[in-house]
Amino acid sequence: MELRRGFPGPRQTGSDCLQKDTEPKRQADELLLILVLFLVVFGLIILYSTSAYNGRVKFDDPAYYFKKQLFATALGLLGMYISSCVDYHWLAKYAPWGYLASLLLSLAVLFFGDEYNGSKRWLSIGPLSFQPAEFAKVAVILLLAYVISNSKSKKNGLLSMGKIMLLILPIVGLVGTNNLSTAIIILGIAVILIFVSNPKYLPFIWIGGLGIAFVGIFLSMESYRLERLAIWRDPEKYDKGFQTIQGLYAIGSGGIFGKGLGSSLQKLGFVPEAQNDMIFSIICEETGLVGACILILVFGLLIWRLMVIATHATDLLGALIAIGIMGHMAIQVILNIAVVTNTIPNTGITLPFISYGGTSVLFLLSEMGLALSVSRYQK
Amino acid sequence: MKKNRTYHKKKTVIVFAACICMLLGLVGRMVYLMVFQSDYYAKKAEELHERERDIKAARGKIIDANGTVLAANKTVCTISVIHSQITDKDAVIAMLQKELGLDEETARKRVEKVSSIERVKTNVEKEVGDRIRNYGLDGVKVDEDFKRYYPYDTLASKVLGFTGGDNQGIIGLEVMYEDVLKGIDGKILTTTDARGVELDEIGESRVDPVSGYNLHISLDRNVQMYAEQAAKKVMEQKQADAVSILLMNPQNGEILAMVNTPEFDLNEPFKLNTSEDTSGMTDKEKQDAWNGMWRNLCINDTYEPGSTFKIITAAAGLEEGVVTLNDTFSCPGYKVVEDRRIHCHKRTGHGGETFLQGAMNSCNPVFIEVGLRLGVDNYYKYFKQFGLMEKTGIDLPGEAATIMHQKKNVGQVELATISFGQSFQITPIQLATTVSSIINGGTRVTPHFGVEVRDDDGKLIETLAYEKKKHIVSQETSETMQYILENVVSGGSGKNAYIEGRTIGGKTATSQTLPRSANRYISSFLGFTPTDNPQVLGLIVIHDPQGVYYGGTIAAPVMKEIFENILPYLGVEG
Repeated sequence: MELRRGFPGPRQTGSDCLQKDTEPKRQADELLLILVLFLVVFGLIILYSTSAYNGRVKFDDPAYYFKKQLFATALGLLGMYISSCVDYHWLAKYAPWGYLASLLLSLAVLFFGDEYNGSKRWLSIGPLSFQPAEFAKVAVILLLAYVISNSKSKKNGLLSMGKIMLLILPIVGLVGTNNLSTAIIILGIAVILIFVSNPKYLPFIWIGGLGIAFVGIFLSMESYRLERLAIWRDPEKYDKGFQTIQGLYAIGSGGIFGKGLGSSLQKLGFVPEAQNDMIFSIICEETGLVGACILILVFGLLIWRLMVIATHATDLLGALIAIGIMGHMAIQVILNIAVVTNTIPNTGITLPFISYGGTSVLFLLSEMGLALSVSRYQK
Repeated sequence: MKKNRTYHKKKTVIVFAACICMLLGLVGRMVYLMVFQSDYYAKKAEELHERERDIKAARGKIIDANGTVLAANKTVCTISVIHSQITDKDAVIAMLQKELGLDEETARKRVEKVSSIERVKTNVEKEVGDRIRNYGLDGVKVDEDFKRYYPYDTLASKVLGFTGGDNQGIIGLEVMYEDVLKGIDGKILTTTDARGVELDEIGESRVDPVSGYNLHISLDRNVQMYAEQAAKKVMEQKQADAVSILLMNPQNGEILAMVNTPEFDLNEPFKLNTSEDTSGMTDKEKQDAWNGMWRNLCINDTYEPGSTFKIITAAAGLEEGVVTLNDTFSCPGYKVVEDRRIHCHKRTGHGGETFLQGAMNSCNPVFIEVGLRLGVDNYYKYFKQFGLMEKTGIDLPGEAATIMHQKKNVGQVELATISFGQSFQITPIQLATTVSSIINGGTRVTPHFGVEVRDDDGKLIETLAYEKKKHIVSQETSETMQYILENVVSGGSGKNAYIEGRTIGGKTATSQTLPRSANRYISSFLGFTPTDNPQVLGLIVIHDPQGVYYGGTIAAPVMKEIFENILPYLGVEG
């Protein structure tokens, strides 16, 4: 019941939608669209190149992963189109319900989820499988944007920040039981949104310090987490450093110009499940430092576009939605590349638009649609 | 509904800037990995992807003085199985059983072992390899390589030596000239995926092997063969333990023949040449038996030279001027040195005799007297000058060093025994080389087999050079020694080696082996011809002959027979 109190119902804010400055004033951001389409096409090409071997070996069909991804991408493009047409003010009113749905779905995974590689993350509906954690990210962005922009409180103290954090703790807990990385991403998005919405700086330094202390305690609580640190520092010494080391072999053997598209050897079973989290290492191997930097540049431009949309948004709701999406994108790209290059200890985070994963691409594209929707209301 | 205020925008830009900074940091990390660490990781990755198979380089041949090949190569096959590529396991197992004679259990173990490549059998005959290839079974690899092959089986076995499983020399010239003969192995590199399946689209890269060079040696197959026959004959006649024969050119140290009967079969070096049964032996016993069989008595073992060593005593005495040809001596059948009475081999004594006659009689008291006149210091000076105290430097492994008294321990008695060749030990090659150097005009030569290194097209790569030390004795002493030793053969104890119409110099020896009570003897003869310009020097050593054991009686005639046969062949006259 306590949670319910935090949920401002749609009725209370219904009148806001009719404000006149919420009418779309211009075209959606074309550059953002172009960047997204580039990433989607590039991602599909790389995915096919990377997964062909695994598809052939496991399913006797080199295009097995590609076909599934293509289907999800088509759905995602449809989702992007729809969400870009929808008025985000209207959509935001359903944010609490969306959040509730994500909680229920995450709960359902705990009981009915499919296990794969030792983690229960998927819900099966007939031939389709669905990862509720991906949906949870969108739900949290919308919820926080909605709650913050509608809060009546003038106070910007720690208390209100704490209240907002409390709101998302249930989903962080639920998702975190099986998917720590996604829980961290959700927390990260929340911290960014609170940071932007609050005029102060000092409290965030405290939060940062507390966060570091928390991570330290968290790590030392379980010995396997410390082991992960040891593997990070010297992956060649440990059996469990295998994936990391294989990724580094791929990256290193790419050199400056790479071996050429399709010519990776590490994808031939050396990097396990190369089409998933480690796909960036294969990009490095095939397209070299040049190709990898171009990809990082495109991601950088995408984040820049999202920032521009956020700063030009007419209202805080739109701005926070764009910032949430920007944070989501930035955290995943940075963490993924940092993990693949063994800059930080290994944790499973996918590379947006590129890594294999239908649910991920579907919701990422829908998020981009939301951003496009926000861009249509720019001043 | 809140407004999008300036501080919101400012903080958005801060978040963006932080993200870009982190991305730039990651780009830096990637530059480190992909530029500076690239070679390291690329090499590691390559090691992971590549499967390597060696292509053995053809080992160089060993060729005798006439161009006859004494050690060559023959094509054999290595059979391997690649676990991940085998489709019909049972067929492969059945084939291995049938063609290679493996039992089922062994064959199954090889086939079912999970490894990238498992070697089943090496040194398989080429016909068998071809048959296996014709089965066309997946996952079975037949690689051709070379096996050492010796066309004359036992000929000069302890000189040539043989090679091991990796074609590396084990004993003899095969070890000594390993670097010349071995060549550089080639490689076949194939790239595979993580399951070990070869990637056809990348293909295989080949590093071709470089054949080893041919070694041309001074040994003459015909001379060696004749000497081996003679050695075998006398060994059977005298029921001796072993017979060694050395024939060399005293002018330059080139060895024409080196026989150590019984020889062994180089193509089956682990089969004992005696009828002994190896099945009941422990590993150590087997190894000892092999080592014994492989020993080259001419260089690996020392013996008491006996009277042949009087040549050295005489040369030192003449060179030092303590004795001349016409000095007279008296032999009552013994000589008293300090408190010992040392007997001459002729107990009744030789009576009055000149030094020349003493040498012809091989009279012990004469040489004892010469030795005593030289004294320890002078004697050892000449040992050193003649090169006796060092190894000869022959191009065979395992040469034994001279076992001589320490100078400070040599009293008059020891000095006396040394002077007629007892109480110390040297190798046959050391004796032959030292005498060669005394009778060739005084140049210490290095005994050797290797003459030239050529490639297979006959192009000269290297002419092997050996150390020579001039003037170890004067020309005059050398000529006097030639004269003395010629007289030993023409009218003295070596007369059984005399050949009508030729000038032969030589010295016989009969020495008792330790312990003296066993009554075992070594009889030997050292001869050379022609005396004024020696071209061939031969040494025969008969170990433990039965019956008559005098060197002059049993060893000299063998050398005579050899000389009679090989000198016309070699074109040596006079």
